Amino acid sequence: MSIRRAGFARRSKALTQIPGCSLADIAFLLLIFFMVSTAFRRETERPIEWPTAAATQQIDEKHDDIMYVWVERTGEVFINDLSVPMEEVAALIEPLSAASGSSLTISLRADARVPYIFIDQLQTQLKRAGTRRVVFATDLERRMATN
Amino acid sequence: MSILRSRKRRITDEIPTSAMADIAFLLLIFFLMATAFPRDQGLRVVLPEESGVVEVGQSDVFQIIILPDGTIRVREGDAAERSVLPRELEAIWQEQAAVNSEMVAAVQTHPAAEHRHMISVLDALQLAGAGRISLQMLEIEP
Repeated sequence: MSIRRAGFARRSKALTQIPGCSLADIAFLLLIFFMVSTAFRRETERPIEWPTAAATQQIDEKHDDIMYVWVERTGEVFINDLSVPMEEVAALIEPLSAASGSSLTISLRADARVPYIFIDQLQTQLKRAGTRRVVFATDLERRMATN
Repeated sequence: MSILRSRKRRITDEIPTSAMADIAFLLLIFFLMATAFPRDQGLRVVLPEESGVVEVGQSDVFQIIILPDGTIRVREGDAAERSVLPRELEAIWQEQAAVNSEMVAAVQTHPAAEHRHMISVLDALQLAGAGRISLQMLEIEP
């Protein structure tokens, strides 16, 4: 006669709860990841249509060494959320370029359909400000293999 | 009586950690919401100095003209102009560069042409490995 049949069957000790002791560790791990990788937004994105290019490269410069210049389809220029007249762009960028020791990179975020005349005027302003490193911001164009 | 009623005060010397997970989650949610991964990417160019003028011989210039409708016309040296597609430009440049390594790509864009047309030409030239690219605005005769 087995013990079970005699009424002495042991209850299973398997827990029905999800172990939550490592939850805090996971939370801290994620927290540290986001704390390290966070770059707080300095300005709001303008509503532009991004041009695409297959030769798009990732820009490795430090976040502080990149300045964003937005050009909307109308040709209006925005820097740090402020509309800047075209002829005042050089005066605004020049002191920042000088302070950075010419390591300032301009990320030119122009609408895909903006007339080129505005881009040319902006390049003239950037040259006047002593800035030489420019990135035409684009989205990566994925091409189908032709072979 | 007073001896019986008196209780020992239990003072623990540990920092309570029960709320630590809550704080961690609170901070986690904050950073999740505040994070904006930067998308710093594009086509890199180096602008010339404002006063810098570089003389280049006519035979070393590969002229690319972008018209308002996006048509691309090329002229190699003294040859006549011809229209090409953006995807053809890469192979044409590689042929040119194989013959003359000093070749300069002079991209002249019409003032009314859209920015994306210039980007497509710059894209093709960078894919082809062009190192010397000049970006100019097309001068229109009145």
